[in-house]
Amino acid sequence: LPGGGASLRLCSTRAAQEAINKPVIDRIIRVDHAGEYGANRIYAGQMAVLGRSSVGPVIQQMWNQEKDHLKKFNELMVAYRVRPTALLPFWNVAGFVLGAGSALLGKKGAMACTVAVEESISEHYNNQIRTLIEEDPEKYKELLQVIKQFRDDEQEHHDIGLEHDAEATPAYSVLKTAIQLGCKAAIFLSERI
Amino acid sequence: VRCQHHPPLRALQASAALRRASDEHKKEPLTSSSQQHFDSPPAGHQPEQEPQGPRSSYTGQGGQESEDYESEEQLQHRILTAALEFVPEHGWTAEAIAEGAKTLGLSVAAAGMFHSDGSELVLHFVSECNTKLSKLLEKEQKLVQLGEAEKKPIDKFLRDAVEARLRMLIPYIEKWPQALSVLLLPRNIPSSLNLLSSMIDNIWHYAGDQSTDFNWYTRRAVLTGIYNTTELVMMQDSSPDFEDTWRFLENRVADAMTMSNTASQVQSTGEAVVQGLMGAAVTVSNAETSRAESR
Repeated sequence: LPGGGASLRLCSTRAAQEAINKPVIDRIIRVDHAGEYGANRIYAGQMAVLGRSSVGPVIQQMWNQEKDHLKKFNELMVAYRVRPTALLPFWNVAGFVLGAGSALLGKKGAMACTVAVEESISEHYNNQIRTLIEEDPEKYKELLQVIKQFRDDEQEHHDIGLEHDAEATPAYSVLKTAIQLGCKAAIFLSERI
Repeated sequence: VRCQHHPPLRALQASAALRRASDEHKKEPLTSSSQQHFDSPPAGHQPEQEPQGPRSSYTGQGGQESEDYESEEQLQHRILTAALEFVPEHGWTAEAIAEGAKTLGLSVAAAGMFHSDGSELVLHFVSECNTKLSKLLEKEQKLVQLGEAEKKPIDKFLRDAVEARLRMLIPYIEKWPQALSVLLLPRNIPSSLNLLSSMIDNIWHYAGDQSTDFNWYTRRAVLTGIYNTTELVMMQDSSPDFEDTWRFLENRVADAMTMSNTASQVQSTGEAVVQGLMGAAVTVSNAETSRAESR
């Protein structure tokens, strides 16, 4: 029926050319964009508190990489005509609060937050890479390349966090579990809303 | 179309007979051959609500499966397109669909394929208009890319796109209020919302919108409001060539532009104020520190 047909209509030229699985790609780009946006805000929050401390430059450098990631996903979002998640204003505040809050626990707290978030994101990217490879590695080559690169970057951030004594934070495992639960919820919601 | 009323046991015989008949009448106009097929079944037989899946009996009627085979969706599409011609007279109803089916040489019973409230007809029309608009916008975009046309400013682009889309309603404007009420039936709301939102998204895409933040939603909501209100104004407009409607549209788009300019002005003013306050706070605290030191 016409109504249903319209939703399957491939509206972007790129999608029409390559006949991609639009619903899957939509979700992937939307949630990754939300993730990078959130990560940006987390580092901004951490910098606001620890910007002038000894770990300031380290956090700044990780933040710069996240800014690049966000820029890339902004481009992909426009190219594939994907709707951004409606929860962006919420992630704006929540990310900043998480970053600032963890930084108020000290440098180790900030690093623990980084480790938790980056571990979640790496796992999430790995899942997406699996999904895309199952679909069609050739068709999604560019997207796969981007996600693989970003996964490696996030993994590096995770290792930097560990190097800076993240695990020495008091109540590390509790903090880590709580943050990772939050990340899972954020991923679930951003894929759909 | 409705050959399923032949009992399955006699399907082979029936299809063989039909094939012979169609072979004989291949050169004749379609109307006479289909009448032959449909006058034979008993009139009491109502078309049964069978699952619309395999259309073997339909292809049996045509004989060959290869080139003449047409999917059910394509057939429905053709019938609905033909039915549009009769909408000004009959409204968005099963009568219009029946008349459309007749022009294609099919039985009026073909209208039984659709709901009696004309839902599919309205949705089909809206979908076709959206496709036409898409093609129009894409063509214009190509002209701009080739340098053969000027890139329009955003307000003019939106005005022209909405006007082009609404002008497609003009031949059916008498019966459009009925169509709107059909689109608002609970059963049709998911489809009609889908069609509306994809049309608005399309217009913004060709207007060059590249927002990836909450603006994405704000812009589409504003344009949807402009489109819907202009459509309603058009229903009641009796001015020559709907000039009152286009003036209304121009004013609404101008309002939206003003609103967005004001919003960005408010934001930058707010940021400047915050900076000023921070500067004042730093100055005061420095003054306090130096006063405390000099004591």
